[in-house]
Order: sequence, then C-alpha cells, then structure tokens
Amino acid sequence: MEHTDVAVIGAGLLGCFTARALTAFALSVTVLEAREDVCTGISRANTGIVYTGYDTKPGTLKTALCLQANRDFGRLCRELDVPFSRPGSLLFGFGPRSERVLRDKFAQGQRNGVPGLALLEPAAVYAREPHLAPGVTLGLYAPGTGTVDPWALGIAAFENARDNGADFRFCQPVLHMERTPEGFRLETAAGTYQARAVVNCAGLQAAAVRELTQCPAVRLVPSAADYLVLDDTLAGFVRHILFHEPEERGKGLTIVPTVEGALLIGPTDRPQGEAPAGAVSRQGLERLRRLCAQVVPDLPLEETIRAFAGLRPDPFAVRQEGGQWVPTDRSIHSFTVLEEEGLISLVGIKTPGLTCAAALGEHAASLAAQHLGGPGRNVAFSPERRGIRRAHALSEAERDALIQQDPAYGTVVCRCRDITLGEVREAVRRGAVTVDGVKRRTGAGMGRCQGARCMQAVAEVLAQEQNIPLRSVTKDGPGSPILLGQPGE
Amino acid sequence: MINAMEETDILVIGGGAAGLAAAESLSARRRVLLVEREERLGGVLLQCVHRGFGGEQTGPAYAAGSVARLAKTAVQVRTGTHVLSLAPDRTALLSSPRGLERVRFDRCVLATGCRERTIHALPVAGTRPAGIFTAGTVQRLLLDHGPVGERIVVLGSGDIGQIVARQLVQSGRRVVAMVEQRDRLGGLARNRRDCVETYHIPVLLRSTVDEILGEGRISGVVVRDLDTGRRRRLACDTLLTALGLVPDQDLCRGLGADLPDWLALCGNCDYVHEMVDGVVREAAALGAAWGETF
Ligand SMILES: Cc1cc2nc3c(=O)[nH]c(=O)nc-3n(C[C@H](O)[C@H](O)[C@H](O)COP(=O)(O)OP(=O)(O)OC[C@H]3O[C@@H](n4cnc5c(N)ncnc54)[C@H](O)[C@@H]3O)c2cc1C
Ligand SMILES: Cc1cc2nc3c(=O)[nH]c(=O)nc-3n(C[C@H](O)[C@H](O)[C@H](O)COP(=O)(O)OP(=O)(O)OC[C@H]3O[C@@H](n4cnc5c(N)ncnc54)[C@H](O)[C@@H]3O)c2cc1C
Repeated sequence: MEHTDVAVIGAGLLGCFTARALTAFALSVTVLEAREDVCTGISRANTGIVYTGYDTKPGTLKTALCLQANRDFGRLCRELDVPFSRPGSLLFGFGPRSERVLRDKFAQGQRNGVPGLALLEPAAVYAREPHLAPGVTLGLYAPGTGTVDPWALGIAAFENARDNGADFRFCQPVLHMERTPEGFRLETAAGTYQARAVVNCAGLQAAAVRELTQCPAVRLVPSAADYLVLDDTLAGFVRHILFHEPEERGKGLTIVPTVEGALLIGPTDRPQGEAPAGAVSRQGLERLRRLCAQVVPDLPLEETIRAFAGLRPDPFAVRQEGGQWVPTDRSIHSFTVLEEEGLISLVGIKTPGLTCAAALGEHAASLAAQHLGGPGRNVAFSPERRGIRRAHALSEAERDALIQQDPAYGTVVCRCRDITLGEVREAVRRGAVTVDGVKRRTGAGMGRCQGARCMQAVAEVLAQEQNIPLRSVTKDGPGSPILLGQPGE
Repeated sequence: MINAMEETDILVIGGGAAGLAAAESLSARRRVLLVEREERLGGVLLQCVHRGFGGEQTGPAYAAGSVARLAKTAVQVRTGTHVLSLAPDRTALLSSPRGLERVRFDRCVLATGCRERTIHALPVAGTRPAGIFTAGTVQRLLLDHGPVGERIVVLGSGDIGQIVARQLVQSGRRVVAMVEQRDRLGGLARNRRDCVETYHIPVLLRSTVDEILGEGRISGVVVRDLDTGRRRRLACDTLLTALGLVPDQDLCRGLGADLPDWLALCGNCDYVHEMVDGVVREAAALGAAWGETF
C-alpha cells in the first residue's frame, strides 16, 4: 500500500492542472490515470478556444472563472511555454433570430464585464471577413477570444506538475474506492493507495467514480462532436475565430484558425449512442459540409486533411425510478464542483473547461488543501516549464546553433509540419509512449500527409528510445499495434 | 555554419530518377549540386522491388545504374539533407545533421517527386484506429520491418495498389478485396494481368469505403455500392489506400503564383508519370535545353 496526501484520478486537462496546483502546496500528490498517457479522453478532441465569458449567465462559477482565466491566459502560456494566439472572435448570423441572440449576448457580456465587445454592422463584418456568405445581418466582435492547442496545454501542465514532484502513474484505472479513518483507500489495476484526500477528474467517468463512495447526484450522458481539419495552405483565409449563429434550431458552424495555421471546423452536436468513442458520423460530416457551403461558400473543402470526433460529458440531474437512479431531463449548465468530506469531484466539465482548466485546477486544489487543514506552500514550486525546442519556430541562427548542439535537430522527419528527429526523440524522453503521443507533443503526422511519410520514423524512434521491438509500438495504447503478423515467412 | 554561403550553377533538389537524370545531363557544362533528404539516392525506385523498370529491372537495380552513371560526373551530391525552403533571391535553405546552410544558385531543378493522397481527405465516417496505411508506407514497412497485417482491404486500384497487393499475397497475406469506385480497374494492362488476375484478388467495382470500424486496431470497413447504395461490412485488420499521387510542389510556396524562369519542375514533381522512362527522358531533355540557353 502506498501513501499519498492527495490522489488525483484522471490525467486529462483538469487532472493535470489540478496536480500542478496541488504541487504548489507542501503535499505529496499522486495522479492515477487509466490510460498510457495524458489527454486521451475528452481533452483529446475539442475546439481549442479560449472564451471570453459573454456566453454564460452572470454570477455563476463558470462566468467568474472564465473571465479570470481569459485575462490570465497570456501569462499562463508564457509560464508554460505554450503557443497561444488571440485573433479575436466574430459571432454572426443571417436573420432576425440570430440578431436577437447577438444583442442578448452582447448585453450579457457587458454585464459580465467582458472587455472590448462590439456589435458590428454588416459592412464592418465583411471588411473583417470577406469570405462570409452574403446576407449577414449583424456581428458581435470579441477581441479577447483566443486559441490554444489543447494537447500542448495539457502536456505542459503535466510536465510542470511532474517537475514539481507530482507522481503520475499510468495504466492505473481506479476500480475501487472506499473511505477509511485516514481518508480513502483506492485500488487500481496495479496497486493500492491510501490518500488523505481525493480529487476526481475522471472526465466521462467522473460521475461513476464519485459513486464509488457517494450517493448518485449527477449522471453524465455523452454526446458527440464531429470536426474537419483543413490544410495550413489556407492560413489567412479567415482572420478571426468565427461563430455562426443559425436561424433555425441546432448548432451553427465554428471555424478556428489554429495556432499551427490549419483551419478547424466543427463541432456538431449529436447523441453518442452505441458508437465507439471517437467515431465520426456520416451525418455529422454531411452537416458540416452543408453548413460550410451555406456560410463560407468559397471555402475549399477539398483541402480537408482529417475528420475526427470528440465526446462531451453532458451532466444531468438524477432521480430514482424503480430502485434505479436515472438521469432526468434537467441538464446542468454550470460547472459542477462537489466537495464531500475530502472527495472533490469535477463532474461534467464541458466548454469552457479548457479555458478554465488552470482556474478549475486551482479551485479544486484549494478545496483539497482546506480539507487537509491548510498545508504550507511548497517553497521549491516553480510555475515555469520549457517546451520542446521547435526547430521551425526558431530563427536561422538559433536553429543552426541547436543542430550544432544536437545533430538530430538537423534531420526533418515530418515534412508537412517541419518537425525534426530531435523533437521526436525529446517527446519520447518526456513521456510519449505511442505514435499518437508523439503527435500530440510535436505535431508530427498532423499535416496533409497524415503520417504517411513520418509514421515509420516516429515508430522507429519509439522502439529505439524505449528499447522495445518495433512490433510492440502502438498507435495509441494497448490493442493498437502498428504492425501485425509475424515476420520471416 | 549558416554564415558561409555556398554557390553553385545548378541546384537539383531530390535524388530520385528525375533528379539523378537531370543532374547527370546538366553536369557536362555546369557545376551541379544534388541534394537528397534520404541517406540513399534513388527515391521511390528503392521501395519498388518488383521488375518493370527500363524493361525488366527492379527499381533498386535501375536506381543503382543511375547512381553509377552519376558517380562518373562531377556532380556534387549531398544526401541526408533536406531543403527547407526556396527564396526568390535564388537561395535555398538546407538542413542536415551538420547544420543549416544557405546555397546560392543560378538555376534550380525541383525533382521532389510526389506524395500520396490519404483517406483522411475523404469524407469517411467511423473510427481512426491503427492499421490504415498508404501503399507507399506499406512498401517501406515491408522492406524495413516485415508484415503489416494479415487480412487486407485495398482501396484504389491503380498500378501502385495492384503491385503492393501482389506483394502482400506473395508474402502469404490475404487481400480480402480491392475496392474501386470506377467501373473498371485502373493501371496498366500488364499489372492487371500479373497482379490481380494471376493472384485472384477479389475486386469490388463501383464501390467505395465509407466507414472504418474498430477500436485500437482496425477490425473492418463498410463498403458502399455506388449504384445500389447498399452497404456491407468486410472484416480486415489492415486498410491499404492507393488513392493516387499528388506532385509535391511545397517548395514553390514562397515563390509567388508564376514560377520564376530559373526554376524547372521535373519528374513526378511536375506531373505524375506511370513509367520511369518518361521521367528520365524529360530530365535529360531539360539538360539539353538549359545547356543551350545559358
Ligand atoms: C467537443 C468539445 C469541444 C470543446 N471545446 C472547448 C473549447 O473550445 N474551449 C474550452 O474552453 N473548452 C472546450 N471544451 C471543454 C474541455 O475540452 C473539457 O472541459 C476538458 O477537456 C475536460 O477535461 P477533463 O480532464 O475533465 O476530462 P478528460 O480529458 O476526459 O480526462 C479524464 C481522464 O480520466 C481518466 N479516467 C477515467 N476514469 C478513470 C479511472 N477510473 N481511473 C483513472 N483514470 C480515469 C481518463 O482516462 C481521462 O484521461 C470542449 C469539450 C468538448 C467535448
Ligand atoms: C509503387 C510504384 C511502382 C512503380 N512501378 C513502375 C514500374 O513498374 N515501371 C516504371 O517504369 N515505373 C514505375 N513507377 C514510376 C516511377 O518509378 C516513378 O515515376 C519515378 O521513379 C519517379 O521519380 P522522381 O524522381 O520523379 O520521384 P521520386 O522517386 O519520388 O524522387 C523524389 C526525391 O526527392 C526527394 N525529396 C523530396 N523533397 C525533398 C526536399 N525538400 N529536400 C531534399 N530532397 C527531397 C525524395 O526523398 C526523393 O528521393 C512506379 C512508381 C511507384 C510509386
């Protein structure tokens, strides 16, 4: 049995930021993650938008955290050395219904104290975004909206937490939890842990994990979101993060010019049903293509390089029915953070959970610290972390100097995104154990050839650095081998 | 290293069939520098172990012939060196384990070949598990590391798809089906006979893959009949795509819409060639044309 002051369950964005915030206290922190790496759950697939806070109701925890988080985002990304851009956003529509929505959001944003909001007449909208379809009736401009690579952010928080002493244990799903006089006893697939407090950041499983010791209060019903990615040859096609407010019911279109220069289009909103996690739906893709044709008709969809899907943890209140607990139709709109005698649960944290990840992590950490009687600060704590050196982001002189230090930075592995062998090796040294783990850390395989030219080289580095046969290398964890079948026939 | 600027008359980018032939033919009158990103010269020829290049040679044998002829010229060769960018001032930026270098040139031959279209550009539903490869990736993996899977669906029926399908069957794997959207197989008659017919590879015409199944490793695909709209599942552990090639002209990006007159595209980087003979003929013609004009 291992002892720790705080056990964090789950290493998505929230688990990583909670761990980081906990290491600022003089506490031992152990993170138990079911999968082989960080950010493989909800955090794997989202829109990457840093929201300003005009979308949410005044006076809620969500709004308070979002405003604070947006203000602090530049500093956070400097501390963690994560690329961040703030192109601003433009919400627009094509008729009376959307016009009402925009005016309401503008007023709500003013009440919330979101800086710089402006309603724009059509001429001003087209001056900013000439490719929008004709007929825009109104625009709402928010200069503070930004975008960040969610993987880069989550991985940075993970590395920083680890550097500050948090102990991450992968492939350790928590299967059992019970209260003990000292706190909690947790059983994973690989060991037993005694913790004085627990922060439950289990994402889609957060309600189930909570119910290991508590009576049901919230249930999560997953819904799915489809996306398209367009090639970075289209950099500059749109200048803002675009939100389309449709006239009919249903979700409009969002277009994000990402920090890497690609265009991210989506998300749809549909029931997940029985489909496996991450499965793209035919109807979802058709809907996105149809919306694009309506809203940005000259967007060249033939530049699509990828489609993917994410999962939302939609929280619902529960009621008892024939001895069973079932979700009601009362969906919960604010963030749900429950503190129950040392068990802190973050349940159903949807948008803007990425924006607020650091703020939520600090909030959860302070609840845990309070429960433990206010421990002192960790004097050795440093909020600073340096990312992998990105050869393509350096000046020629810097890039040359880097190659002189380590010749591996001279060999380009991923040609679409200009990623070098040095970066791939460093990603593995920092904890990538799969081809997708390297992709999340370096961007290798995210360009237009989708790994056709670099996947083999990446797999070879994974084999070498971990000293395993290539046949043991996986795409994203157990059950996903790159190579199948025995050689030598 | 970045401060020293090297100079050459002609810079050839890419050491495949096109770059090798162009460099050879230009070297008679000019200083030529040939830059290739891989450690070995030959390009796509090196992964084509079947016969049929310049007659009955294999790709590597054909490449060896070209490399041997090049060795007799004064062409300077730099392998393991990637050209990062071309600039309008007639310089190129090179990256290698030795460092970053700038090369100044009078003229440049772009012979960077092509890249493969991937399934991800198509509106395909379902999951994105392990076991989805382009034909070129499979050729390289087979050479370097052995088998990639046991039950394979091939999407696309051009020469490359057919050749790799044969290679897989020859090594004891099962090709479950070759799926093609047109009403006949693509590629050369020779390949249809020697690959598909000889090895009895099942063919599904007027069909496409529109959904991928499986978590972890691919477990199957949904094939849709384009005429009836009917869908059916095919179990497989590997999906190999041969969806066509696209000339790789990425290095032209910084040069504006009209290509400068000091730049020539050659081989598959210009347009996709079915046979290496045409590639070599055009590259040699370039040498003759440029030899006269400057
Ligand atoms: C489609 C979509 C778009 C979004 N877009 C935005 C946006 O643009 N801007 C924004 O601010 N927010 C956005 N969000 C919200 C944001 O992505 C989420 O709030 C955030 O990723 C949630 O992270 P998490 O750590 O709670 O969950 P996860 O990333 O799912 O992490 C949970 C982890 O817990 C692990 N786990 C589960 N059960 C156990 C167990 N029993 N034992 C151990 N480990 C376990 C899982 O393996 C997983 O790694 C979006 C969300 C979705 C779904
Ligand atoms: C699977 C397959 C089967 C074929 N079968 C036959 C056949 O049976 N018979 C036949 O006659 N022909 C066949 N062909 C056609 C023929 O082989 C090709 O058309 C020819 O080899 C193409 O030569 P290339 O030089 O244009 O391109 P490539 O061989 O692709 O060469 C391009 C080179 O440029 C390098 N490069 C790219 N970018 C950079 C950069 N930025 N910096 C430095 N170097 C770079 C690459 O590494 C590569 O070596 C086949 C082709 C394929 C793909």
